[in-house]
Amino acid sequence: MTLLELKNLKKYFATQKAVDDISLKVEQGQIFGLLGPNGAGKTTLIRMITGIFYPDEGEIIFDGKKFDPIKDVEYIGYMPEERGLYKKMKIGEQTMYLAQLKGLKKADALAKIKQWFIKFEMEGWWNKKVEDLSKGMSQKLQFVTTVLHNPKLIILDEPFSGLDPVNSNLIKDEIYNLAKNGATIIFSTHRMEQVEEICDHIALVNKGSIILDGTVAKVKQDFKENLFSIGADQMPAVNGETPFDIVGTKAEKSVVRIKEGKSSNDVLQYLLQNNAQINSFNEILPSLNDIFIKLVEGTPTARQFQKV
Amino acid sequence: MNKIWLIIKREYLTRVRKKTFIISTLLFPLLYLGLIFGMGFIADKSKQNLKVAVIDKSGYFTDENIAYQNSIDDNSTLKLVKDSAENVMANFKAKGFDGYIVIPAINWKDGDDSLFFKSEKSYGNATTAAMESKLNRIWSSIKNDSLRLDTEKQVILTKKLNVTPKNIQDETANANTAEGIGYVAGFLIYFILLIYGSQVMMGVMEEKTNRIAEVIVSSVKPFQMMLGKILGIGLVALTQFLLWIAFVLIVYNVGKAAGGNIASGVVGNIQGMFASVNVPLVLSCFAFYFLAGFFFYASLYGAIGSAVNEDMREAQSLSFPITMLVIISIALMTAAISDPTGPIAVWASIIPFSSPIVMMARIPYGVPGTVPWWQLGLSMALLILGFMFTVWFAGKIYRTGILMYGKKPSWKEMIKWAFRKN
Repeated sequence: MTLLELKNLKKYFATQKAVDDISLKVEQGQIFGLLGPNGAGKTTLIRMITGIFYPDEGEIIFDGKKFDPIKDVEYIGYMPEERGLYKKMKIGEQTMYLAQLKGLKKADALAKIKQWFIKFEMEGWWNKKVEDLSKGMSQKLQFVTTVLHNPKLIILDEPFSGLDPVNSNLIKDEIYNLAKNGATIIFSTHRMEQVEEICDHIALVNKGSIILDGTVAKVKQDFKENLFSIGADQMPAVNGETPFDIVGTKAEKSVVRIKEGKSSNDVLQYLLQNNAQINSFNEILPSLNDIFIKLVEGTPTARQFQKV
Repeated sequence: MNKIWLIIKREYLTRVRKKTFIISTLLFPLLYLGLIFGMGFIADKSKQNLKVAVIDKSGYFTDENIAYQNSIDDNSTLKLVKDSAENVMANFKAKGFDGYIVIPAINWKDGDDSLFFKSEKSYGNATTAAMESKLNRIWSSIKNDSLRLDTEKQVILTKKLNVTPKNIQDETANANTAEGIGYVAGFLIYFILLIYGSQVMMGVMEEKTNRIAEVIVSSVKPFQMMLGKILGIGLVALTQFLLWIAFVLIVYNVGKAAGGNIASGVVGNIQGMFASVNVPLVLSCFAFYFLAGFFFYASLYGAIGSAVNEDMREAQSLSFPITMLVIISIALMTAAISDPTGPIAVWASIIPFSSPIVMMARIPYGVPGTVPWWQLGLSMALLILGFMFTVWFAGKIYRTGILMYGKKPSWKEMIKWAFRKN
C-alpha cells in the first residue's frame, strides 16, 4: 500500500527552484532514504510533506487521500535537522505540551510518555529542565517527542547527529521496531553507511530533482561495474583469451573486471581450466557512497542562485 | 482552535509562574510610590537653609518683623545687619552668612524693585524661592502697616478671582483630576506596550534560536503559533493589571476602615475622583485601548522577533521605528493633555498608532463633553482595523522569518515577504 505519493511537486523561491517537479512513492512500512547534497531541496521537500510549506504546483496524496495540512499533521512525526526544545521548560511538561499539540488527549499523552520514558530509561527526567541535559540526552528526548503520537509517517532529518554509538543503536533499533509495527519512515541524511544499513528504498535529490529512485539492492545492481574479487593461488596470466582484466589487488585478492559479453561463470571456468586454486570469489558492488559521489560530482558543491 | 488554547496556556503559565513576574507585580507599585515620595523627600532634603544678611537702606525693615517671620518659617534665616554695608559685603562669610541682600531706598511711585542676593556659591531656585517669599511676606506687612490697613481690608486686598474650566455637557468634569488620570492611564499603556511588546519579541526570538520553531510549525500553523503567543502574553499583562487594581482597592478599603488622618485624606481624594469621572467608562475604555494597542504593537514586535537571529542588536535596530512610534505617541499625549480638544489631540487620538495612548489621556476629560461619541467610535473602529492589519502583516512575515536563518532582513524585504502571494 502506498502511504505517501508526491505528484509533480514544485516549489520555487525568489532566487531558486528549490523543488522542481518531484514525483515519488513511499510504501507503508518502508524505511525510505532521502538523500542529496546540501541545498539539494530535501528540506523544502520535507517541509511540503509536513504541511509547513504549500507546494506551488503538484499534489500530495497521503494515506489514499489528498493531503490536508491541518488534519494530517497529527499522523506525521517530524524531527527537523534544525531542532531544539524550550530550554527552561520542565521535560515532563514539555513532552506533554508537544504531544497535545499533535492532538493527543491529556490522559493518552501521559500514558504514552510514561511508556517511552521507561523504555528509554528516562523516568527520572520528568522534573528536570532541558538545559540540564547533555546533547545526546536531549536528542533522545527529541526522538521520543517525534514518535510519541504513533504517527503513520515519521520523518527524521539526520537523527543520529550528536549521538554516541550506544544511543545510536538504541534509536536505530527503535526505528526498525516502528517500521515493523507499520509506521513508514523517511530518513534524510548525508551519512551513506547509515542509509545502506537501514533503508530499503532510496531516492537521491540533486538541484531540486530526483536523479535516482529505487531499492538499495537494485540501485547497487544498476551501478555495478562487473568487478569481482578473486582470492586464488596461482592466478593464471592474463592474455587476450582471458574473459577478464585485472584491475588491481586488494588485501591479497585480485580485483578483476569481466569483459563485455562474458559472465562470472566464464571466469570461474577459465580459472578452473588453468588449475587455479580458488579460495574466494565475490562480486564487488559499489557502495552508496560511491554512487552518490559519482552522480553528484561535477555539479557545484553549493547551489548557485538562479533566476526563476 | 484547541491548539491555540494550548499555546496560550503554555505562554501564560510559564510566564506567570516565573519569580520575575511575582516580584515585578509586587515591586512596581512600591517602586512607583517610592519614586513619588522619594522625589519629594530628596527635593526636601536638598533644600538648604540659607542664612542671609539683610542690609536695609530703606529703613522699613525691623528686627521685630524679621524675627516674627523667622519664627513661623524656618526654611531660611534672615538677619538685619546694622553694620556698615561695606564691612558686611567684605566679611559676610566670616560672620556666618551664606550671602547678603541690599534693600535699596524705596521709591513708592516706581514699579517693582529688583534686588540681588549675592553669594559665593550658586543656589537652586527652590532654595532662593523660599527666601524670596519670606522677604515678600515681610514686605507685605510693611506695606499694610504703612497704609494702616486693618485685617478686614487686608483680606479684601488679597482677594483673587479663580477661574475653573467647567464643561456644560459634563458638569462633574474636573480638569485637574482628568489630567492626573489621563497621565497615569497614558503612561501605563505606554509601559505595557514597550515592556510586553518586547516580551513578545524576545519570546519569538527564543523559539527561533532554540530551534524549536520548526518542531512546532510541523504541528500548528505559524499564524496560530504567533497569535497564541501574543494572546498568552496579553493575558499575562492583563493579570498583572488586575492584581494592581486589586491592590489599590485593598489599600483603599483598608484605609477607609482604618480611618486614620492620612488615610482619610487619600480616601477623600479617591472619592472625589470617583465623583468627577465616569469610572466604569474610563476603565472599560482602558481595557479596550490597552488590549487593542497591545495587539497592534505586539504583532509588529513578534514579526521582528521572527526575522532576526539571536543577536539583540539586530532586534534593536529593526524595532527602533516601532519603539519610536510609541515614544511619539507619548509626546503627542502631552500635547493632548494641555489642549484636549485641539486638532493634535483629536487626530492623534483617532489615528491607530497613537490612539491607544492619546485617547486614554483624553477620555477622563469626559465623554461626550470633550470626546464626542463619534470620535471615540471612529478611534475604536480604526484601531480594530489597525490591529487586524498588523496581525495579518506580522503573520505573513512570521511565517517566512521563523524558518529563515542567516542574514537579518531589512524592513523593505520584510514588507516584500508580507505582500507576495502564498
